[in-house]
Amino acid sequence: MQVALKIWRFDAEKGERALREYEIDAPEEATLLDCLDIVKDRLDGTLAYRKSCRMMICGSCGMRMDGAAVLACQVRMHDVAQAGHVPVISAMGNLPIVKDLVVDMAPFWGKIRAVTPWLEPGFSDPGEQEHVVSQPQMNAIHKESLCIMCGCCVSECNSMEADPDFLGPAALAKGMRFVGDARDQATVERLQAYSEPHGIWDCTRCYFCNERCPKGVDPRDAIAKLGAEAMKEGIDSDMGAKHAKWFVTSAKTTGWLRETELVPKTQGIVKSLKEVKFAMGLLRHGKVPPPFPPHVAEHVGEARALYDLVQHEGEDGYDGIVQLEHALGRLEHEDGHGEAAERGPYGEGSFPKPYLPGEESSDGGGSE
Amino acid sequence: MRTVAYYKGCLASLSAKELDISTQALAPKVGLELIELEAVTCCGAGDIHEAEPDYYLHLNARILAYAEETGADTLMTVCNVCTLNLRQANHALQGDPALLERVNRNLTKVGVPAYSGGVEVMHFLWLVAAGEGYELLKGAAHRGLKGLKIAPFYGCQILRPSKLLGFEDPDRPSSLERIIEACGGEAIDYPAKIKCCGFPIIQAREETALAELIQPIEQAKEAGADAMVTPCPLCHLSLDAWQSKLKAQTGKDFQLPILHLSQLVGVAAGLADSELKFKRHVVSVAPVTDKLAV
Ligand code: SF4
Ligand code: SF4
Ligand code: FES
Repeated sequence: MQVALKIWRFDAEKGERALREYEIDAPEEATLLDCLDIVKDRLDGTLAYRKSCRMMICGSCGMRMDGAAVLACQVRMHDVAQAGHVPVISAMGNLPIVKDLVVDMAPFWGKIRAVTPWLEPGFSDPGEQEHVVSQPQMNAIHKESLCIMCGCCVSECNSMEADPDFLGPAALAKGMRFVGDARDQATVERLQAYSEPHGIWDCTRCYFCNERCPKGVDPRDAIAKLGAEAMKEGIDSDMGAKHAKWFVTSAKTTGWLRETELVPKTQGIVKSLKEVKFAMGLLRHGKVPPPFPPHVAEHVGEARALYDLVQHEGEDGYDGIVQLEHALGRLEHEDGHGEAAERGPYGEGSFPKPYLPGEESSDGGGSE
Repeated sequence: MRTVAYYKGCLASLSAKELDISTQALAPKVGLELIELEAVTCCGAGDIHEAEPDYYLHLNARILAYAEETGADTLMTVCNVCTLNLRQANHALQGDPALLERVNRNLTKVGVPAYSGGVEVMHFLWLVAAGEGYELLKGAAHRGLKGLKIAPFYGCQILRPSKLLGFEDPDRPSSLERIIEACGGEAIDYPAKIKCCGFPIIQAREETALAELIQPIEQAKEAGADAMVTPCPLCHLSLDAWQSKLKAQTGKDFQLPILHLSQLVGVAAGLADSELKFKRHVVSVAPVTDKLAV
């Protein structure tokens, strides 16, 4: 088949950037990586990109296709070529470009290093036998363990774009992989460290990481687990944690968010006083609902009683999110609902849908 | 008429009352009969999911149970964050009978009806961007938008994670564009329309949030937008109310009017001033109302 690609070339030494188009003949089953190999082999030996395993295992070949981070060895080009679409290939985002499609992964590794990515087993002596970790205990960190450190999640992280020091989805997911490991003895220290500025509470919940991860790690959910576990351990002095706590307080007292009190409860009285001028501007437009009398939901007693009940359910901290994850996984993989159930692991639909112009993305109707 | 249970969520009950008022006024014109849920609470906005995940699940199960009790098969939301939170809880409960049983045991203990898993959570956007709702919308939007240039802003949690939302392609959505055009407006394209408005961290990390917020506003302005429309009241709050902070920080006074989806369709459908409540916005909507001579 004929495949055409537009590739953003970049020469870091000269600082020059150029969009070049290439046309090649490729076998029907070719992936984006195969096509790059053909370009490099036949048309332009200076094209630079990373690869190794060619089978979605090593995490080397992360790059952007039409603006979205993908593994080049994962994307099949057949449908794209058939539709006559010429995709734009560029380097991943949020990392400095070295040449063409190769980014400098040093900041990425620096952040992975910063979360202490190894077991801290302490000095507990197993005695005569070894430490046995049960399957359910391992299941708690199954998803986080799947990470191949490709950087696709980091590429599109909205918080990292705004704050380059943000630890980011891959490093925090790695952190959760150790926080949730039954053998690790440094949970509290880890949670304290990850709760520092540029950590857990800097995530803006854009969910790009979950959307992009080719391995189903769902880093945003890993970050939520860290937040839940930190709060369970009483590590809640960050404004982000206080913000989250206020929602719980609101739900069990009035049922609805006590919006006007959210700012002082999150930022503290002193800091929120500095916001008075801003708040007065909002007040004029009814954006600061008066806290008294409070807006109380009907039968809010039920919400309060539920709160007391769940305290004894043993599903607190990250366990509460792991249970959701397992339930959602069942729906996707076993019960025949949802799109994923219809896909074979390598069949049609198992890869991110390529962009085919002219195709209505959805005429809606079903959301299942 | 399609009867749906209507969950308005916190913001539409509080600082974004104009969203609730315009949605209720518009609904019959697009074939929706709303049964408003009274005995419900906040969905947790992602915060309770993070602080007390099991409580989050129970609160959302309670909302779903009351929705099911109305006899409707659809729970309609008007907020991205409510949509994701409720759909996530709903899928989890539908996917795991043991989990559903445990949650139901607790619900019934406190006097809430048990939930059987029979409700689907749909955002208002999805109900009017396709099918019968869309056909009715085309007819209802008779007053039109006179070619106003409207920037669609989707926000995050109506697109991603797509395995829980899944209404449209999360990278190239088109539902808002379709609606803008059906109302006689011109949809403006710009890259940040699917990115984050910064709302979740606007209080805890203002600087980072503002660096996110400025992108859609600046890009939409540059692309010539007269106004922006969003299906999410949290996006609305940061885009509208925090614009003044962008001015303080960057010196740029964007003055970009931000409309709720129900207001955009509502103004095209000829809703009255008292139903649109543009006065409740921080950034003046005059560029829109002047052009339409409302
Ligand atoms: S979490 Fe996923 S996208 Fe991110 S580095 Fe790991 S495998 Fe890649
Ligand atoms: S959800 Fe959080 S960690 Fe994930 S990409 Fe968005 S800001 Fe980054
Ligand atoms: S080459 Fe190894 S993941 Fe693509």
